[in-house]
Amino acid sequence: MRKNTRSVLLAALCAACAAVLWATYNYSVAADCDAGIQSVAEVAAGKVGGKGLADAHMDQWKRRNPVRSKDWVAEEKERHKIQPPADNSYLLKGEQGKGHSYGQYTELDILTWSRETEKMVVEGSRIFHSATELGSTVAVSCDMCHPDAANTHPETYPKFQAQMGRVALLRDMINWCIEHPVRGKRFEADDPKMRALEAYIFAQRKGTPLNYGKH
Amino acid sequence: MKPRHKSVETRYMEERQAFFDDLKKLDRRSFLKVSAAALGITAANGLVAPTSFQPVKLAYGATPEGGEKSFRFAYISDSHLYEKDVNDRFARSLMRAVDDVNRLEPQPDFVFYGGDLAQLGQAAELELGAQILKNLKVPLKIMVGEHDWYLDMGEKWQALFGKPTESWDHKGVHFVKLLSVIEEDFWTARGMKPMERMQTVAGLDNGVQKPFTVGPDQRAWLKKDLEKLADDAPVVVFSHSPLYKIYKNWNFWTDDADEVQAILKRFKNVTVIHGHTHQMLTNRIGNIHFHGLLATAWPWPYAPEGMPELTVQMTRPDPFNPQDGCGDGEVCVYSDGMVDKIHNFWNRNPVTVTRAYMSSRGRQSGPAKPNRPAY
Amino acid sequence: MIDRGVRDTNRALHWRGNGRVKLLEGGRTSKGMSRRAKTVSAVGATLLAVSLSCATQPGDWLGRRVPQTQHGAAAMDYQAREYDKLIPPADAAQVPCRIDPHIWDAFVPADNKMTVERVALGKKLFFDKRLSKDGTVSCATCHDVTRAFTDQRPTSEGIGDKLGRRNAPTTMNAVLLQTMFLDGRSPTLDHQATLPIINPIEMGFPDGESAARAIAGDVEYQQMFKKAYGREVNYEDIGRAIGAFERTMVFLDSPFRRYLEGDPKAISADAKEGWRLFNEKARCVSCHHMSLSNPLGTDNRFHNIGVSARHQDFEELARRGLKALQEDPSERRLEELALNTDMSELGRFMATKNRSDIGAFRTSMLLNVGITPPYMHDGTVTTLWDVMDHYNKGGEANLFLDGGMEPLALTEKEIDQVVAFLFTLTDLRFAEENQRQMRLQRAQALKSRPLRDDQTANRKKLAFEDRIRK
Repeated sequence: MRKNTRSVLLAALCAACAAVLWATYNYSVAADCDAGIQSVAEVAAGKVGGKGLADAHMDQWKRRNPVRSKDWVAEEKERHKIQPPADNSYLLKGEQGKGHSYGQYTELDILTWSRETEKMVVEGSRIFHSATELGSTVAVSCDMCHPDAANTHPETYPKFQAQMGRVALLRDMINWCIEHPVRGKRFEADDPKMRALEAYIFAQRKGTPLNYGKH
Repeated sequence: MKPRHKSVETRYMEERQAFFDDLKKLDRRSFLKVSAAALGITAANGLVAPTSFQPVKLAYGATPEGGEKSFRFAYISDSHLYEKDVNDRFARSLMRAVDDVNRLEPQPDFVFYGGDLAQLGQAAELELGAQILKNLKVPLKIMVGEHDWYLDMGEKWQALFGKPTESWDHKGVHFVKLLSVIEEDFWTARGMKPMERMQTVAGLDNGVQKPFTVGPDQRAWLKKDLEKLADDAPVVVFSHSPLYKIYKNWNFWTDDADEVQAILKRFKNVTVIHGHTHQMLTNRIGNIHFHGLLATAWPWPYAPEGMPELTVQMTRPDPFNPQDGCGDGEVCVYSDGMVDKIHNFWNRNPVTVTRAYMSSRGRQSGPAKPNRPAY
Repeated sequence: MIDRGVRDTNRALHWRGNGRVKLLEGGRTSKGMSRRAKTVSAVGATLLAVSLSCATQPGDWLGRRVPQTQHGAAAMDYQAREYDKLIPPADAAQVPCRIDPHIWDAFVPADNKMTVERVALGKKLFFDKRLSKDGTVSCATCHDVTRAFTDQRPTSEGIGDKLGRRNAPTTMNAVLLQTMFLDGRSPTLDHQATLPIINPIEMGFPDGESAARAIAGDVEYQQMFKKAYGREVNYEDIGRAIGAFERTMVFLDSPFRRYLEGDPKAISADAKEGWRLFNEKARCVSCHHMSLSNPLGTDNRFHNIGVSARHQDFEELARRGLKALQEDPSERRLEELALNTDMSELGRFMATKNRSDIGAFRTSMLLNVGITPPYMHDGTVTTLWDVMDHYNKGGEANLFLDGGMEPLALTEKEIDQVVAFLFTLTDLRFAEENQRQMRLQRAQALKSRPLRDDQTANRKKLAFEDRIRK
């Protein structure tokens, strides 16, 4: 008799635990994963539609990527003088393109290239001027020592960078500055932010002859 | 002993030997003259090799040429403080400057602070600055920079430090302090919040802000203040913006500079001492002599255009040393209003821009021109 | 039994402070020993300590017997024989291993080309105590072959047991430096070699002529000088010959170099991480240039990192120094002031009078750094862990501090990794000594870290704060 009671109680305890676990599992959502949707069951039950899912994911993305206004390019250009990319409209003149499939450039091409290139450079300017984007732990941004990217000398790379004791490219020096004066975390070489920064720095030195190795 | 390649050291040894040989030929009086002259010539500018054997008196306690009655004040400028736990570096640099000044012997008459004590004009930043500057042994005179002003339009600064514009006399010299970073309102139309306004002004290359001005009110005040002075009265004007026009993009600029200079034109010797530019800068327009102050926080590059001829540029600071190209300094004021400006660079030899250099428009006792472009 | 316990202890080359012997126990830790062995070692250690407190007797070294001479140096002939094992005389005049022959030319002066005769002469002079006034000090007293070509003491001991003010740099690879002496006041090895001979507290001759006279009577020397330089015995050639000998002291074959040259297993994972930190967070490489083209680990420049600011008021010292030099600017006075007074602490300033050089000393060469304690210009930094503590807190604040010195906020693990890397810079011929130093220094570091300052290192407290507080 006692044995039976014990096993019954044990079974009841297990069931209770299972119920608790089941309940908490369903409600313990990793806040950012699952985009706030409460359970897989809900989606399966059709309670949350495709739009709901999309909205939830968008909210999640927005949380991770702070709001950028629609006119961010124009706003950034108003704040900081940015060299425009080269003018390729000469490609539309004359007859050279004729008969060459790959040489048939259109106005839309010229416009797209210019716009996209400019956007990358403007993005670089945005990061260049923002201690937060650079990940600085001391609230220092590049423009504090390099207004308008002055004194960055991208045309002198590759060169032996004394501070590093070895030959460096521009992005190596950018990373060095991020590690030391800016006191942030180094970027990977192909991080979009690093690429944008390089783009901006090169853009600001438009017209300067290349002179690699110059100290 | 003739090595094939003359090492830096061999050159130095030869120079040194030559120097000793020359010294032996000098009598005591000439020796002192050599030292004093060398003080003016000693370059932080790179022409002189790093091991070059130049006699340098410590700039502290330098006896001025000319022997006229004079006094000295020290300066510290452009510290751009954040709170200590946000950025320790800037606070440390300001403390170093205070240490420098406190150890001058003899102590200067007062210390002048050239503006931009805070970086973003926040109360905590200004208070930190006030707290650090309290450790100075001699009285402090302090000026407004744009970084101090545009968060709350000077409320906290004035509560801490008093009047942004004033004048006083000291040992026969008339000193004036201006608020020369007044910008036309660009923020109301854009609906900017105070911090947005401050961030805009804080960006040196931010084109949304407007040029610095002294403004009609202050110009009128200045005219009145100087009215009673004779033409040969010694006048020193402190201003954060340079009171002349260098490079508009970076607000190395005072828009109504011409009007201000017109007010100062009648005086025989006027010295303008300005901050904002974070570099060694020298200019002369008519009888107005302009001297830039070094920053403690970081050095700016020289502007791509508008550089005055008299300026001998400092060599490019090394980014490994965040205090290279920075420092503090002293000004030796003569009874006729001329000054010797001593730039006390950290980790470099001090550079003195002498009255002789200014009065001869750069022909005499100038620092050697650097053998490399500054930027 | 005592012998066995004692024999297991490694060759106990000591690391002394200022003449007093401080025994740092090397060898096995007590963990691996039985109680019996522990007792035996304890007894042995006591005996050792007792015997070493009267340390100038030859033959009382344990393990390998290293016969001794004055001032704590190993006997000169013993040293000379050890040197031959390291650098066989036949190889002496050749371009050293691992150096490009074209580049080597730049290091050899035109008036002192390497020949077997010159090297042999230099070697004899290097180990010759007759070059000191009282006949007890030779170059090898402070640049001891058995002690990493230095003396592993904070400051060196010269004639009359006088102690100097500066730590003796190692002569290993000194040929590759651009200046000699910690304040760089000598341009070449040949010139440097002549100066300690006439320094009153080092080897003590009043002038070069007396030094030359002291050995000119030796027929062997007369012949060797004739063969080497075609001249009589003279002071300048003494310097040249010693310089020629020192040019053979090239020891570049470290595990780290092999790693750089392509052997991934040459150094440990910790050391590799230490190398990364060296180049990044710890900010070492900017002054301690280290790459395949520059293996030395120095930029040959002079920086004030605050070591001597720990011990005195710099500003006052600088003022006094300047005043003294204005009164008597002769070279002799400069040397005197530089070496024999407090002004020595002003470093390069005494040589250049550039205010930017106040308290600045040459960036030390890092090659073989593991075996050349204690560290810094005055030997006041005992282990490499102490060195890291010094840099981690941004040096010592003073008015002339190099602004590149910043608090680094390195963690203990990171410090261990950089130290592990530094120990890989020792030439493989000294691997045993390197291991011994690692043990000794680690034991010392575990006992005490006097320079450690976590508050400053982590930027909670700022370096100049205390100095300005009213």
